[in-house]
Amino acid sequence: MTPLPLLLTLSALLFVLGLFAVLSRRNAILVLVGIELMLNAANLNFIAFWRYGPQDADLTGPLFVLFSIAIAAAEAAVGLAIILMNFRRTRSTDLNRLDSLHG
Amino acid sequence: MIPLLILSPLILLAALGAVWKARPVHAALLLALTLALVAVLYLTIGAEFIGLIQFMVYIGGVAILIVFALLITRPGDEAAELDRRPRSLGVGLACVLPVLGLLLFAFSKDLPTSSAVEANPALPVQALGRELFENSVPAVLAVGVLLTAVLIGAALFARETGDKPEPPASR
Repeated sequence: MTPLPLLLTLSALLFVLGLFAVLSRRNAILVLVGIELMLNAANLNFIAFWRYGPQDADLTGPLFVLFSIAIAAAEAAVGLAIILMNFRRTRSTDLNRLDSLHG
Repeated sequence: MIPLLILSPLILLAALGAVWKARPVHAALLLALTLALVAVLYLTIGAEFIGLIQFMVYIGGVAILIVFALLITRPGDEAAELDRRPRSLGVGLACVLPVLGLLLFAFSKDLPTSSAVEANPALPVQALGRELFENSVPAVLAVGVLLTAVLIGAALFARETGDKPEPPASR
């Protein structure tokens, strides 16, 4: 097995694990953990294709990863701030209690 | 290739733990371990700069942020989370398995593996910096603006508002 399919399989499994966490967790912070896993899987794909892809690849992959890491950090900060704000209101991080728009 | 074969199962095991563990703190720490192992993977396949950035931003920033958020918020009702396991497990698997199949199917098609017997040269950091600050200056500035907005926004969200907490729902 060459490295590229191995890395792509690894990133697909990582992505799916993150998606599973997002879908099955009730704690909002742990949903954020799943989102981080999915972002990491995407970054892994960028690096894998840059490193083991066609020979004339330029630096687009690593560039994308740099920006993606910056945006992931921003997303985590805002997400946790929103969770904290909601925790102050409802004393809970349970997503099932975010139902005030429920008709 | 050997480090890859050693690291991949470790990464998957750590990620599985992060997804599966009922205690939030364990899940957060296993996420940190997963991110660290991915960073080591980057170091071994020639993207050293990206690996170091991953260490600094993800381990030093995001993972610590998540652990602190868990410290501030109450641990939550782990028993309730365990109660929901079978149902959420079924729903999660039903949604996730098709995605996995689709991804593996897509990755099994037309990969440019024939030309990739020999890897591209390792990441030239100087060229990356040149690319970043000569050709992608607008994107760098946009990220700067984004991070400033995030800083202000997070401070606004997290500030003390004086709202009374809602009484617990009577359901």
